Amino acid sequence: MSSPVSAPDALAPDFLKLVGVSKTFGNHRVLDKIDLAVSEGEVLVIIGPSGSGKSTLLRCINFIAAPDEGEVIFQGHSWKAMSSKYNFLANRKYEQKLTVLRSEIGMVFQNFNVFPHMTAAQNVMLGLTKVRKQSKDNARKAAVEALSQVGLAEKVDQYPEKLSGGQKQRVAIARALALQPKVMLFDEATSSLDPELVNGILEEIRRLAKAGMTMVVVTHEMNFAFQVAHRIVFMDQGRIVEIGTPDQIRKTTEPRTRSFLSAILN
Amino acid sequence: MNSYKFDWAVIDKYLPELLKGLWITLEVSLVGMAIALIFGLLLAMGRLSPLRLTRSVANGITQVFRSIPLFVMLFWVYYGLSLKFHVLFTEFQAGALALGITGGAYMAEVFRGGLLAVDPGQREAAMAMGISKSTTFFHVIFPQALRVVVPPSVNVYVGLLKGATIVSVIGVSDMIYVAQYVSLQTFTPFELYSVAGIVFVALTVSISGFAWMLERRLGRGRSE
Repeated sequence: MSSPVSAPDALAPDFLKLVGVSKTFGNHRVLDKIDLAVSEGEVLVIIGPSGSGKSTLLRCINFIAAPDEGEVIFQGHSWKAMSSKYNFLANRKYEQKLTVLRSEIGMVFQNFNVFPHMTAAQNVMLGLTKVRKQSKDNARKAAVEALSQVGLAEKVDQYPEKLSGGQKQRVAIARALALQPKVMLFDEATSSLDPELVNGILEEIRRLAKAGMTMVVVTHEMNFAFQVAHRIVFMDQGRIVEIGTPDQIRKTTEPRTRSFLSAILN
Repeated sequence: MNSYKFDWAVIDKYLPELLKGLWITLEVSLVGMAIALIFGLLLAMGRLSPLRLTRSVANGITQVFRSIPLFVMLFWVYYGLSLKFHVLFTEFQAGALALGITGGAYMAEVFRGGLLAVDPGQREAAMAMGISKSTTFFHVIFPQALRVVVPPSVNVYVGLLKGATIVSVIGVSDMIYVAQYVSLQTFTPFELYSVAGIVFVALTVSISGFAWMLERRLGRGRSE
């Protein structure tokens, strides 16, 4: 299981916290010592030009991309960057620890990443049976329930090839929510959808926000960002330039944020 | 060839023996293929390992075993292992093992391609749910790789099936061995080998048909 916390600031009331998280691909430093705290029930929206490290930041939260340095603190437990990939036993334990973190954090991807060889229900059931150790019958019931909530009651036994992009993304959302995560991460969840399907998915995210779900959302939908966010993070070149409420960000005097917003809003 | 008198009656007479030989050919090639599947998958996983050492070893084994002629492999397994290390194999076992090792080296490449063809997003989605690495492999990655892997695997099997005729040199009484043995007595090699050839064509065609059906079955939910 997860190890006790060592960092002194772990006593701070933050629900989810990144401390000094860095990530390098080759020579390119994608994230440079990011510190970020998310409170329970908060909707945090990350914006910024492409290549600014938004997606990588999101993927470092659940170690889909493992940070090179720094740690993620979640509900009082700490997950640090892996020290060596050559220590097999330590890595096994480390992987198991990560599994605990990941099972509490749901993630929705730009490309849906639904499993094409499984029906919608089977997509949802896999996590329930393998991670939550539910029986097939219970998992099936929960899957049907979760799919109904995103409006796919009729599509439970369809394979993804028969579904539209919006429906696939709903399957992905249902799949994540069925595990009853404490945080949801959305990585440009509407970017590969046809324009007429975008609002439906944004509506689902909005519904979750109203229900009090803690969320970190990377998006290019600026209107949506300003409506739904409690706080907005503006990133550029692997760093957090500015964090503020939608109002603060809208009225910002920070030149990079301003030029990004004026470019994208006009 | 003018003086050669065709005598197809010999086929009638020795058909049961030939079919018995065919059965052995099928058996040895199927056991060989089973070994090749397991060995090939292990090699492919080794070649995709994040650890450089594992990758290099698996790459080396694949490269070397793929280059060794089946004939030489068979002699090494049958005579080499038994003479040098006192591992005794029956002719059948040695044949199947040699086919399995050579086939495995080919299958390693096939599996590697299949595993690489699966969108990395699939693994990430499973990881993000907290699903373990092994469950991710067996429930998410491998079933999708399988679709890509079936057609080239059939090619490898057809290769092994034809390669299996070589086991006659260590005395496994497969179809070629029977044809050879009978023709020494009846002096009708042309008829016997031709029938063997036709049987192989029929087999290969049926196997391809079977593979086509299998591919269609696995094809459900093809595109995301």
